[in-house]
Amino acid sequence: MTVREKAILELVRLSEEEQRIADIIEQEEAASGNKKNKVFQKYMIKDIVFLAIITCCTLVTGAIMPLLVNVPLFGIIQLGLGIQFSLFPVIGMMKVKKPFALLLQSMFISIFLVFMFPPMVLLIACALVAELLTLLIFRGYKNDWACVFAGTLYMPLTLPLLYMYYNVFYTVSGEEKAAVSMFIGGGNVGLTVGISFAVIAVCFVGSVIGMVIARELKKAGKLK
Amino acid sequence: MAFFRNKRNLYPLIAIASALLIMVFGLVMARTVVCSYFLLGALVWVILFGCYKQALKALPLFIVFGGVFALIAYFSSGKNFDSALAMANRFGAVFLAIVPSMSIQAVAMTRNLSQLHTPRGITLGMLITMSFIPVLRAEIKRVREAMKTRGAGSILNPKIFYRAFLIPLVTRLVDISDTLALSIETRGFTLGKSKYTVYKKEAINYMDVLYILGLIAGIVLAVVL
Repeated sequence: MTVREKAILELVRLSEEEQRIADIIEQEEAASGNKKNKVFQKYMIKDIVFLAIITCCTLVTGAIMPLLVNVPLFGIIQLGLGIQFSLFPVIGMMKVKKPFALLLQSMFISIFLVFMFPPMVLLIACALVAELLTLLIFRGYKNDWACVFAGTLYMPLTLPLLYMYYNVFYTVSGEEKAAVSMFIGGGNVGLTVGISFAVIAVCFVGSVIGMVIARELKKAGKLK
Repeated sequence: MAFFRNKRNLYPLIAIASALLIMVFGLVMARTVVCSYFLLGALVWVILFGCYKQALKALPLFIVFGGVFALIAYFSSGKNFDSALAMANRFGAVFLAIVPSMSIQAVAMTRNLSQLHTPRGITLGMLITMSFIPVLRAEIKRVREAMKTRGAGSILNPKIFYRAFLIPLVTRLVDISDTLALSIETRGFTLGKSKYTVYKKEAINYMDVLYILGLIAGIVLAVVL
């Protein structure tokens, strides 16, 4: 065994030891009834790292966004990216069960969204709204369905922003709005409502898949 | 080629600002011919400031996707050239905005944000997100190779995709994340309010100012003319 391997082994042991001590303290607190039921918890480096890595997955799989933004169909971005933008964030939240995990993920990704499609930077606001609603309803992320709820709301909340985008930019662009409406269905309310429900359904499916993956990893002892 | 290049990349925040300028102006003015001239001028401008490699990467993508969508717009609007031009301009603006952003190095961005006293958790997260893409690509390749070796079947089959691709990939990512977190901690990185210094500071120089002023001048000219 090389020195480097020994050092890595030592580090892993140390980390496991720390985790064991933390678990014992938690069990003791639970047994004595002193456990503080804190909603807001401090973030550790490992939380930030995992969230960043899972955000990278969201980013890479969402790289088709620059193409979708130019397809003038209401909700096409959310339909195209709904699965990715719900599946990976839910895995992130299932591991880091702390409030504002979704907000952090959206902050990490926002710098890239500026180049892909600036209005999508408001995803940060959507994450904040989704988190606040989740905290109000579920009081934290202890329940797995709280993660699914936040993940399902995350992307559909951007729909009003996109509605504004198509109505501002494409109206400014003027004449060709008529041409554009030939293949987007124009201001058809039925189409808008239908696509909105479709987006919610897609995001819900993505969130549930994320939850299933996270549960499987937990069972395998990977997600602690 | 990099006539104005000052032996370093653009100042990160200036690069972001320029990307925003190009994209917003391009999207708003997409219908006009002036926009096409502006985008061409901006392309030359970013190339002069050293982003020629990035421009060469973005150009073929723009030609393919912009061309296809311009054709769709052309035929769907009853052979209206203005619609095709507007669509091409939109794609041009998006792809041109990506060019200066591709010139930003992850570490330069982190230094820049650290200088601006952005919370350390956010700068660390952004740094990892930006620099993790090649690692992720390599991991995806490895998982796919493992699938081939085991004869797992087609990745297009949802069950196989889930069981043989998604689960191993996420498992691997969790492992990498644990190792990376340990590695960061052993290097003395903390999220607390401890004082820190930026080893190599990012500073705006006159070339950055010239670059952004040139773009603004281009926009003003396009609007006035």
